[in-house]
Amino acid sequence: MEKVLKKSDLGQWVARLKDFDLYGPVRENNHWEFNQISQLANFPEDYTQVNVPLKKILLPNREVLFQFEDNRNGGPYLQEVLPEEREVVVFGVRPCDARGIVLLEKVFSSEIPDIYFERRRQQVYVVGLSCYPLPGENCFCLSLGGGPFSTKGMDILLTKMQSKYFVEVLTPKGEKLIKAAPEYFFNPTDKDQQERQQLERKARAMFTRQIEGVEKIWPVLSQMFESPLWREESYRCLKCGICTYLCPTCHCFDITDEISSTAPLQGKRVRVWDTCQFPDFTMHSSGHNPRPDKASRLRQRIMHKFLYFVETFGDIMCTGCGRCVSKCPVGIDIIDILNKVASHGA
Amino acid sequence: MEHNPYLPQLARIISIKEEVGGARPIKTFHLELLNGHRFDFRCGQCAMISVFGKGESMISISSSPLIKEYLQFSILKMGRVTTALHEMEEGSIVGLRGPYGNGFPLEEWKGKNLIFIGGGIGLAPIWSVLQTALRQRDDFGQLTLFYGARTSQDLVFKDELKKLKETIPVYLSIDVKEPGWNEYVGFVPQNVLDKKPSPEKAIAITCGPPIMIKFVIKGLQELGFQDDQIFTTVENKMKCGIGKCGRCNIGHHYVCKDGPVYSWARLKTLPQEY
Ligand SMILES: Cc1cc2nc3c(=O)[nH]c(=O)nc-3n(C[C@H](O)[C@H](O)[C@H](O)COP(=O)(O)OP(=O)(O)OC[C@H]3O[C@@H](n4cnc5c(N)ncnc54)[C@H](O)[C@@H]3O)c2cc1C
Ligand code: SF4
Ligand code: SF4
Ligand code: FES
Repeated sequence: MEKVLKKSDLGQWVARLKDFDLYGPVRENNHWEFNQISQLANFPEDYTQVNVPLKKILLPNREVLFQFEDNRNGGPYLQEVLPEEREVVVFGVRPCDARGIVLLEKVFSSEIPDIYFERRRQQVYVVGLSCYPLPGENCFCLSLGGGPFSTKGMDILLTKMQSKYFVEVLTPKGEKLIKAAPEYFFNPTDKDQQERQQLERKARAMFTRQIEGVEKIWPVLSQMFESPLWREESYRCLKCGICTYLCPTCHCFDITDEISSTAPLQGKRVRVWDTCQFPDFTMHSSGHNPRPDKASRLRQRIMHKFLYFVETFGDIMCTGCGRCVSKCPVGIDIIDILNKVASHGA
Repeated sequence: MEHNPYLPQLARIISIKEEVGGARPIKTFHLELLNGHRFDFRCGQCAMISVFGKGESMISISSSPLIKEYLQFSILKMGRVTTALHEMEEGSIVGLRGPYGNGFPLEEWKGKNLIFIGGGIGLAPIWSVLQTALRQRDDFGQLTLFYGARTSQDLVFKDELKKLKETIPVYLSIDVKEPGWNEYVGFVPQNVLDKKPSPEKAIAITCGPPIMIKFVIKGLQELGFQDDQIFTTVENKMKCGIGKCGRCNIGHHYVCKDGPVYSWARLKTLPQEY
C-alpha cells in the first residue's frame, strides 16, 4: 500500500501512537543514536545514520537471561527473565540497518529459536527512512543487493519529498500504525510517484564506493584461507572491536554470571556483546588459541560475512552500512579488502 | 510454554570420585536431574554444566545413554567453573542444559571392530561409546582400547580399566618410564603403531590433545585406515551450545551443533581452526 503524508502532519500521526514506546534518532554530542522520544516533528536535515545500529533494540548489549538465588530448602532457585512486553516503534531506520534485522533473524529464529530475540522482534515496528542524499561517505549497500530505498526488514518506508513523505506500507504491522491516524494519509498522485522514483534514481547514482564483482567474492574466498592478504590488511588493527560492535549484523555474544551477593548467593546470568576481534574470544583455558593472531581474526570477520554465512544461509552477512570503515580508528577498510579479494578471482 | 534454550535444569551431584590428584586433578561426577526428569542423549554428546555465580562449561557425557540412573562427567580442573565444580560436595546442586552436538554414528558401526584411542581426559567421550558397545556386545565385532597419559597417576578410570582388561584387549601407555610400570612406555600414537590394529572392517575413534590426535591419524593412515574409518572429536571454546553466540566455528561449521564428532574425511576439508 502506498500513501503520502504531509510533512507537517508527521508529528500529529506520531502523537497518536500512544500505545507504543517510541524511538527515533537523537543527537548526542557529535553523533546520532536511537533513543526513546516522546514526539517527532521531523527528521532533521543533518540526520545521517545512528552510531549504534538498530540491533541494540533486538539484541541489547547487556541482557539478563535469568536470575538465580539460594533458597533455604537446598540449592539455587532460578527465575527466568524474559523481555518486557512493550511494543516499540523505531523511526528513521536506514535500509542497511533494517536489512540487518533480516540477517539476524536467520541466526536467531532458525533451528532452536532464541526466545529473547523472538519476543523483541515481534514487538518492534520498523519505520524506515530512505537515503537521499546518502547518509555516509562509505555507504556501499548497492553492491550487496541492497539500496538506498530498500524495504527489507521494514514495516513502513518513508521518503522525504518536497512537501510530503511518500509512505510505503509494507506489512500488517505497518498498516496498524497507519490506522492509528488514517485521516492524515492520502493516496499518492502520479506526480508524487514520479517524485519518489526520481529521488531513488538520483540516490542510486550517488554512490562513490562499491565492490566490483561481488559474485566473485565467495568462490575466491574459499581458496584464500592461507592468503598473505589477512596479515597485510590486519597488522595495524588495535583489537578494539568497534568494527563488530557497531555492525548491524554482527551478533556474537558472551554469557557470564554477575553476582550481587555471595551468601546467600544471588545473581544474574547475562549475555553481553562480544567480538571475534578480541584474542580471548576463542582462547581455551589451556592457553591454546585456534585464532592466535590479528590476521586470523580479520580473516574470520571477512569469511564469516562473505563465505560461511553464504554457505549456511545463502546470503551475505553485511548490508554495506559503511560503519566499520568510517569508525575504525586505524582505517581498516572492508570495501578495499573485498575489492582486493574480488580481483584475485579476475 | 516456549522453550528457553539458555535456562538450565537443576541437577544434584549424587557422587564424586577423585580420579587423578596433583596439579592437574580430575574428578568424576554422577548427576541426576531434580524431579526425576529424564535427560536423553547420544554417545559423544555434551552438556553445559552451570555453577551458579561462576558460569558454564561444556563437558562430554562419559556414561552410556543406556544407563538411566545417572549422567557421568569426568572433569579436569582448569579455571572458574571447573575449579568450583572440584570444590563441590555430594548433594550440591548444579545446572544442566543440553544435550549438545551430533554424537557418534553408532548405528552405522554395527558389525564393525571398534578401536578406541584415547589420551588424558579424552577418554571421557570414548568411554560413553565403549560402555554402550559393551552392553550391546552382539552388535559389534572386536573392541580394543588404547589409552595413555603423562604418568600412571594421570590415567582416569583406573579401577574400571583393570576390570575392562578381563573382557577386551586394553593397551595402556605412559609418556616416561616409571618404576613398577610394566606396560608400554611412549606416546599413544607409537603404541598404536607398535600393536598394528587391522583396518579390516574397523572404525577407529580417537580423542585427546590435538597433537596426539594429529599423530594418531597419521599412524592410522600408515596402517591402511581410510579417512572415513577414523573419527575424532573437536574442542573449541563454547558459550551458547546452539550455534548462536558465534564462538566455536570452524569455517561454516559450529562445533557445538555440527560437531564435536567428525570423521577425518570430513574434518580434513574444514579449515584448521581448532
Ligand atoms: C565439546 C567439548 C567437550 C568437552 N569435554 C570435556 C570433558 O569431558 N572434561 C573436561 O574436563 N573438559 C571438557 N571440555 C573442556 C571444558 O569445557 C573446559 O575446560 C572448561 O569450559 C573450562 O572452563 P573454566 O570455567 O574452568 O575455565 P576458564 O578458563 O575460567 O574459562 C572460562 C569460560 O571459557 C569457556 N572455555 C574455556 N576453555 C574452554 C574449552 N577448552 N572448551 C570449551 N569452552 C571453554 C567456558 O565457557 C568457560 O566457562 C570440553 C570442551 C568441549 C568444547
Ligand atoms: S561489515 Fe561493516 S559495512 Fe558491513 S554491515 Fe557490518 S559494519 Fe556495515
Ligand atoms: S575497528 Fe579497526 S582497529 Fe578496531 S578491531 Fe576493528 S579492524 Fe581492528
Ligand atoms: S557455542 Fe555458541 S555457537 Fe557454538
